[in-house]
Amino acid sequence: MRPSWAEWIRAAEDPARVADKPEALDDLLVLDLSHGHYGALLTATYLAELGAEVIKVEPPGGDPAREWGPADARPQGEGLAFLAEARNRYHVTLDVTRRDGRRLLKGLAARADILIEGFAPGYLDRLGLGYRQLVPLNPRLVYVACSADGHWGPRAKGQPAEYDLIDQALSGLLHITGNPDEPPVKVGSWISAYAQAAWATVGALAAIHWRERSGRGQMVDVTGAEALMRYLEYTVLLYHASGEIRGRTGLYELAVFPYTFLRVKDGWAFIAGYTDPNFGAICRIMGRPELARDPRFDTTLERTEPANEVALRDEIQRWAIDYTADEILAKVLADPGPGVVVFGPMNPPSRTLGEAHWWERGCFKRVADAIYGDLLLHMPAWRMTRTPPRLKWPCRPAGYHDAHVLQRYFGLGPGQLAELRRKRVIRDEEIR
Amino acid sequence: MAAVEDYFAWTAQLFDPERIHEKPEALHGLRVLDLSVLYFGPATADFLGELGAEVIKVEMPGHGDVTRILGTASFLWKNVSVAFFAANHSKYHVGIDMHQAAGQELIRQLAARSDIVIENFKAGTLEEKFGIGYRQLREVNPRLVYVANTGFGQWGPFSRGRASYDGLAQAVSGLTSITGEGEVPTKIGNYLGDWFGASMAALGALAALRWRDRTGEGQFVEMAQCEGLVRAMDWTWLYAGLTGRDREKTGNGDHVFSPSGVYRCPDGYVAVVAGTDREFRALCRLIGRPALARDRRFATRAARLDKGHARELDRLIAGWCAGRTRAQVEAAARKAGVAAAPVMTAKDQLESAHLCARRTVWNYEDPMYGSMTECGPAPKLSATPARIKWAGKPVGFHNELVLKRVLGLDDARIAELYAAKAIGRWTEGRRGAAPPDTWKGEPLT
Repeated sequence: MRPSWAEWIRAAEDPARVADKPEALDDLLVLDLSHGHYGALLTATYLAELGAEVIKVEPPGGDPAREWGPADARPQGEGLAFLAEARNRYHVTLDVTRRDGRRLLKGLAARADILIEGFAPGYLDRLGLGYRQLVPLNPRLVYVACSADGHWGPRAKGQPAEYDLIDQALSGLLHITGNPDEPPVKVGSWISAYAQAAWATVGALAAIHWRERSGRGQMVDVTGAEALMRYLEYTVLLYHASGEIRGRTGLYELAVFPYTFLRVKDGWAFIAGYTDPNFGAICRIMGRPELARDPRFDTTLERTEPANEVALRDEIQRWAIDYTADEILAKVLADPGPGVVVFGPMNPPSRTLGEAHWWERGCFKRVADAIYGDLLLHMPAWRMTRTPPRLKWPCRPAGYHDAHVLQRYFGLGPGQLAELRRKRVIRDEEIR
Repeated sequence: MAAVEDYFAWTAQLFDPERIHEKPEALHGLRVLDLSVLYFGPATADFLGELGAEVIKVEMPGHGDVTRILGTASFLWKNVSVAFFAANHSKYHVGIDMHQAAGQELIRQLAARSDIVIENFKAGTLEEKFGIGYRQLREVNPRLVYVANTGFGQWGPFSRGRASYDGLAQAVSGLTSITGEGEVPTKIGNYLGDWFGASMAALGALAALRWRDRTGEGQFVEMAQCEGLVRAMDWTWLYAGLTGRDREKTGNGDHVFSPSGVYRCPDGYVAVVAGTDREFRALCRLIGRPALARDRRFATRAARLDKGHARELDRLIAGWCAGRTRAQVEAAARKAGVAAAPVMTAKDQLESAHLCARRTVWNYEDPMYGSMTECGPAPKLSATPARIKWAGKPVGFHNELVLKRVLGLDDARIAELYAAKAIGRWTEGRRGAAPPDTWKGEPLT
């Protein structure tokens, strides 16, 4: 018998069979020159998860991002922010401020498909390693630059280092998150770096596709602020069209309602159902079908009137507080329709980790690592039936692959390696 | 070696925005069939369209995509919600009723001539309800890259019967629990799960396209909104695994960088971060307290992360910002090498010479909607710049153009499809789906 869609797709995406399949990008060589820059680091991570060979080039003292993480958990001294994301790479050290280091870097860049950097704009150019100096060596190179204000434009010169909070401020996301009468609130993770990396990778892969036809590489310039700003739906057009500045609305919403958090018996939960049929379903589940006909709530337009949003949220809140999140979810799932209610608990991370769904789908993996010990790592975001992305190995110490990479790409043997170590061009202690 | 000044003059001409429309497009020649509504799916298609793919957006005749009517009265502009446009640029709009066999056949024919299909129905819907899921469409086009966006994924315990919006993804992923301060949740102001998920889905599509460029093989790519946000929480999971604890909320503070905060100026808020010792010393000089940099409470990053010490720094920086405008704080900080920025509003962004020069604030003229200002493409590509060509159009606006040019149908066949209601345009006067009242033109044929 023909399998159902769910059975078929589950087998086609089986997390246990990922390693049997080929990788989408395993013909690409990527140089990760991120140096204290999380967005650039993540760009290389996405490409590495999709199969690219990524050589991470660190200064002999290691990437300063290795310091980044909470103080109370540092396996082998490594910061968790770095340990969580520096995966599937070859870790080499090179002091690019020295002539020998620059020469070796150029040797790698001459053969690379993609180079990713997050230095202050112009820094690599001053070292003779910028895009315009590398193009003659490798016209096919796609050069990806991540920075706070970009590599061109009136504010490009003299810009400070890039931080997630600053990106969130410049993007406008900060201005619309939080309560109207209180200071704005940032997203808790370094979200701008994830957004910047998504865009940088989109740009890089589009450039690689175009290279198939043109034979030419190009430069891709991405800022974390612009990366997030593109996610702000109507903010810019609303101002252009009406002069209205989108502000903070707390648990309320300008565009859709109900779409809010509620206090439930055992914590907090999210509920939404803003189209007419979906709102009707909320009213039915609450046992209040008449609310759907209330003139304050009977159209999407009425439901998003600010005063009506408050009144409506109060109605739903009065009902929700008597039930646990699981009890409400059971009611939602039992509802025959028409309409669909979107509902779920606000999970602390430990509760997310307790849900079988994510483990079955392979979102997380426990790894017993020879260097860092037991690690709980999140897995790539995409499912692909033919070329699934994957975690191959976690972070390695700085310089871990020096001997392998320098032998492979430059034919340098142990004696020459020792000389480079002595001259501090590469990390000065042999790592095994 | 070249001087820095030369570098920025060189990059300025490399990326010259005046030349964007003269340059080729990276994804030119690729066709995307967009079967989705709201943001997660349409934005995925939009991002590929910005890079040059031809996007055909299929909507239900009559009313179309629900984003056309979102929001209060102030959102309604020229008969359509301003919320519609951000995920629908430069697309060809066709109205096809997928409930009808003839409509399903049109989808199959379009998919046979497309490179990428994007949908965001609940798992299995297109196959089970309409007979045009991945298994059917790959029969007519083995090279097809099929991108399916959902909340929880195509399979697994939560994939059946549970719908999702961005807000739910924020809640169940754990992201809300690590955002803000105190017990009451902070809802992130934009539909982050949709938009981040969409850029990741576009990335997945391009990776699949790379494989197809190499081998000719298409595949199925899925992106789940919740899993996108789970993927974007940096060290949250590793920390829980190592310590058995949930990471603490820090508000606008940071577990790694201190000081880090948002401070009130007379004309709004500013964000300030000093992540390195060097930046911190510069900040101390800036606020007129150079001795702080030698104070053992503040001399190292580790010492500054102590909660009491961080609060004290917050107090001092807040005091300094309170007497200055946002522009004064930013200018002084920049000169000192400290990262600081105003919390920008839409007005600030439209007035930013930098964002306008980079076409991140993108002004253009649309034949139907007139003067438009929107957020332009995020990644800047020097040889094949991404671009906006026109604004989203009414439901079915390009029916004839697409059915003739892509499928080669003649007027008689198209008239039959209209008569059978397998295809259609907007319902006359229907808010969101119809053209502005001032529009006297005709659909493109």
